[in-house]
Amino acid sequence: MMNTSSRKYDVLVIGAGHAGCEAARACARLGLRTGLITMNIDLIAQMSCNPAIGGIAKGHLVREIDALGGVMGELTDEVGIQFRLLNTSRGPAVWSPRAQCDKKQYRVRMKERMEQEPNLRILQAEVASLLVENGEMRGVGLADGRTVTAASVVVTTGTFLNGLAHVGETKYQCGRNGEAPSNLLGHALRGLGLEWTRLKTGTPPRLDGRSIDWSVFEKQHGDVEPTPFSFMTDRIEREQVCCYVAYTNQATHAVVRDSMSRSPLYSGQIEGIGPRYCPSIEDKIVKFPDKSRHQLFLEPEGLDTYEIYVNGLSTSMPVDVQERVLASIPGLEQAEMIRPGYAIEYDAIDPRQLTHGLQVRRIRGLFLAGQINGTSGYEEAGCQGLMAGLNAACHAGQRDPFELARTDGYTGILIDDLISKGADEPYRMFTSRAEYRLHLRIDNADARLTPLGERMGLVSPDRSARFQVKEEQKTRLRQGLLSRRMDATLRRPEVRLSVDLATEVLGAAPVRGVIDTVETEIKYAGYLDQQDRHVQRLRDSERRPLPDNLVFASIPGLSREVAERLARVRPSTLGQAGRIPGVTPAAVAILDIYLSSHAE
Amino acid sequence: MVTAGVDPAVTAAPNSATIAAISTPMGRGGIGLIRLSGPAALTISGGLLQHVPDWQPRHAHRVIVVGEDGAKLDDGLATWFQAPHSYTGEDVVELSLHGSPVVLRAVLERATSLGARLAEPGEFTLRAFIHGHLDLPQAEAVRDLIDATTLYQARVAAQQVSGSVSRRLAPLKAELIELISLLEAGIDFADNDIDVAPDAELLRRLSLIEPQLVRLIDSFAYGKLVHDGLTLAILGRPNVGKSSLFNRLVGQDRAIVTDIPGTTRDVVSETASIAGIPVKFVDTAGVRESVDVVETLGIERSWQALADADLTLVVLDLSQPLEPGDHQLIERAQQAGRMLIVANKADLAPRAQILSEAIPVSALTGEGVEALREAILATLNPDGIPSQEDGFITSMRHERLLRDSWDFLDRARLTIEDRIPHEMLLLDLYSALRPIDAITGATTADDILNNIFGKFCIGK
Repeated sequence: MMNTSSRKYDVLVIGAGHAGCEAARACARLGLRTGLITMNIDLIAQMSCNPAIGGIAKGHLVREIDALGGVMGELTDEVGIQFRLLNTSRGPAVWSPRAQCDKKQYRVRMKERMEQEPNLRILQAEVASLLVENGEMRGVGLADGRTVTAASVVVTTGTFLNGLAHVGETKYQCGRNGEAPSNLLGHALRGLGLEWTRLKTGTPPRLDGRSIDWSVFEKQHGDVEPTPFSFMTDRIEREQVCCYVAYTNQATHAVVRDSMSRSPLYSGQIEGIGPRYCPSIEDKIVKFPDKSRHQLFLEPEGLDTYEIYVNGLSTSMPVDVQERVLASIPGLEQAEMIRPGYAIEYDAIDPRQLTHGLQVRRIRGLFLAGQINGTSGYEEAGCQGLMAGLNAACHAGQRDPFELARTDGYTGILIDDLISKGADEPYRMFTSRAEYRLHLRIDNADARLTPLGERMGLVSPDRSARFQVKEEQKTRLRQGLLSRRMDATLRRPEVRLSVDLATEVLGAAPVRGVIDTVETEIKYAGYLDQQDRHVQRLRDSERRPLPDNLVFASIPGLSREVAERLARVRPSTLGQAGRIPGVTPAAVAILDIYLSSHAE
Repeated sequence: MVTAGVDPAVTAAPNSATIAAISTPMGRGGIGLIRLSGPAALTISGGLLQHVPDWQPRHAHRVIVVGEDGAKLDDGLATWFQAPHSYTGEDVVELSLHGSPVVLRAVLERATSLGARLAEPGEFTLRAFIHGHLDLPQAEAVRDLIDATTLYQARVAAQQVSGSVSRRLAPLKAELIELISLLEAGIDFADNDIDVAPDAELLRRLSLIEPQLVRLIDSFAYGKLVHDGLTLAILGRPNVGKSSLFNRLVGQDRAIVTDIPGTTRDVVSETASIAGIPVKFVDTAGVRESVDVVETLGIERSWQALADADLTLVVLDLSQPLEPGDHQLIERAQQAGRMLIVANKADLAPRAQILSEAIPVSALTGEGVEALREAILATLNPDGIPSQEDGFITSMRHERLLRDSWDFLDRARLTIEDRIPHEMLLLDLYSALRPIDAITGATTADDILNNIFGKFCIGK
């Protein structure tokens, strides 16, 4: 090599957001020389949108990240300022934790953790080119001329690829909230011949808390007994802050309606497709004209800031309209806007070009995670980052890929959905996406995934020890209760398993989570069994692998259209083939017949 | 795993192949239709013709069909249906020729020598199904249409081809998806201000869905009759006029009729239609004590026919006094299942004591035969014919699936009453939806989410 400033790594991670941090930390922990490249080292793990982690289905993802040995759960427990367990009026399968976080603390603590990883080097630089030889990733070229080589590269660029922000008629290129976009990398990625799509997301205005009349808003308190995210956290003792509930009104709606022609969403200025589950206030008012008010949440962005996030008021209206919208809401008449809301368009790839290990099929050693794959959300990014990191490590260490099935967890569902169906809009996790929802609970994420994390080498000895104790207690408690014939009693909806009884059965205090799991599995055994039978059917079809070299176009009876859809996704199992949109049950039957008759 | 019923034989050749078949029944007929479907349909047709017409989609072109040596085989009309606007969704060419089997076969052979492959049974329909031109019940109904033996069956099958089962299921499926969406929205967007329906509301919605499902399931009793038809045995002592009645009902001189007792020594059957339902009438040997070996064998078969029949007509002779044998026969038929008593020879002076439930008929004059037909229909289908708009199901597979669905709706009701959490209630509701999906096509998680986003203002 003539370039003397060239450095060698096993794995390079580009981007240090929620995906990048998980990826880099996982690789480093597995003992690989890992480089984490970011354009601004002070904004590592910046929470670019809402100041919260978790929420329904997202809380499940964080638990899964934690169970595998990732960082997001532990960090949230450290910097959370309000914890709520959502959905407690439903059953335990859909309980999900959510925490308001201190944004600044989150990034500061994440940076500290990254810096402390022995095998991890953080580089502040802009990536300008990707070095690919014969379909194999070799490393990256930096904008300053240096070359960095690596066996695996994980790209986690968020909204930075050709980012274009809109505030009313104004638009400007940016990455995240005024940061510079990564156009050079965008250009380099475009050069790889992948298929791209343009997505859009939005964020609401931030207000100065001192200018808000808090007295008019209903308070939303945190839980008295906060539910931690991490299996490693015993208790959260911190004092919690309040959020506040506000509502728009007819005057607000009139302001928005009257200014609709100035919204880039409705003027045609924005081309990207936005998420329907997180509509702008413009969308809410246009699509639901009969709704007299829309709910807003006023959420603090941290303990040492006055900045308030107006959840539910995502908008790309011009600044003057945003100001009038706020002024129309009693209590916010005098509110001062610190930052206006904006919409941002960015490039994402068509994720159907990826494997279950998040590797680009055409380029060995190139892994993608987070918003670049068409998802939205810190949690969705985090779990992908972890999976991409683990697989980058496997690739660099010449190990078999690490994949999760839909029956293993929400992480497996997310990846399988992405690579089978693509992302027409930014993809967010919902519990209704999980066929086996009753099994994929927050209380058993460790039982589902920690053994897999252990096998990968990502689980610390501490975590393993804890897990062993918990599993042992679960078994003993279950057997103890059954031998006392408590199962019939526990099946009654109003009967709960008390700590006293559990302690008596175990002869020791139950560790956190033991009661939840044992109680749930006894109480809802009938439903869990019913679902088990479906799981079995899915597992059977997931066990029918489709050979890598299968030429769909030559399979008798498959229409050209179906063959093309299959060829685009290249499903790895018969089960996955059936989940591809446009692949009819008849086509699956034909594949099935074909596989059986060509089994040898 | 959902798998459709696809005949493995049909998938044994590349889809890129162009298939050809004679699409009218073999044998007599004024017109013979040869159909080609696939990417090479136009090219292959071109090779069959003396002059290739200036193809216009959906236009009938006058053509002359020639053999390999260029000699004229036949003339007729050729029509091109351009993909995807054809039955199969592929390029289709239809040649209407002069129906001589020899000519048709020659043209078909010529087509295969030009690269077409003979279509497997049902392959045109399979292709239509694969290209999304037919849903599963439509495809199944096409098979029924081809197999239909009565006009009414054909009409029912034709309705199902145009999607009547799916259409009939659509409202209840929509209501079920609506209920699922409501519950899913409550779970996935619990932090939005969505009102969660109280149990009473959930039960009310269930009670709107269930009767629709039950009505459809019940319609199978009739649908099965229309689809499968039924077997009706005509029993009686010798010479009470069974064969004459049989001929009357069937409408043609089929069975041998003489005055000599015991003429019908074997079982004779013929199918005729009563109100569109195919009825297989089985004429049997007269039942009596007999020493004749052949006749005894015939009588054995009569008892077998009684056992096999869906309905039995016990024929009495009004002009003769009733005998103990008549009463024994009535008793035996009653034990076997549904039966009607027919008092034949009503045109003669009555000598028998008329049984109150007997239907007086004269096979000779035809008097009372219409009333007998109506009585047969009423016995088989006491609920009457379901109205055309309601539709009815004719496939046992559909009936079984709908019953599965109903079972889970029933279970869902108990789950609500037991105040079990909604995600478990949803397990029952999805289990009820899946069998309906197996008929009308799958509902995906995205369909549910689309419904939610359309109905509720979601998003913080």
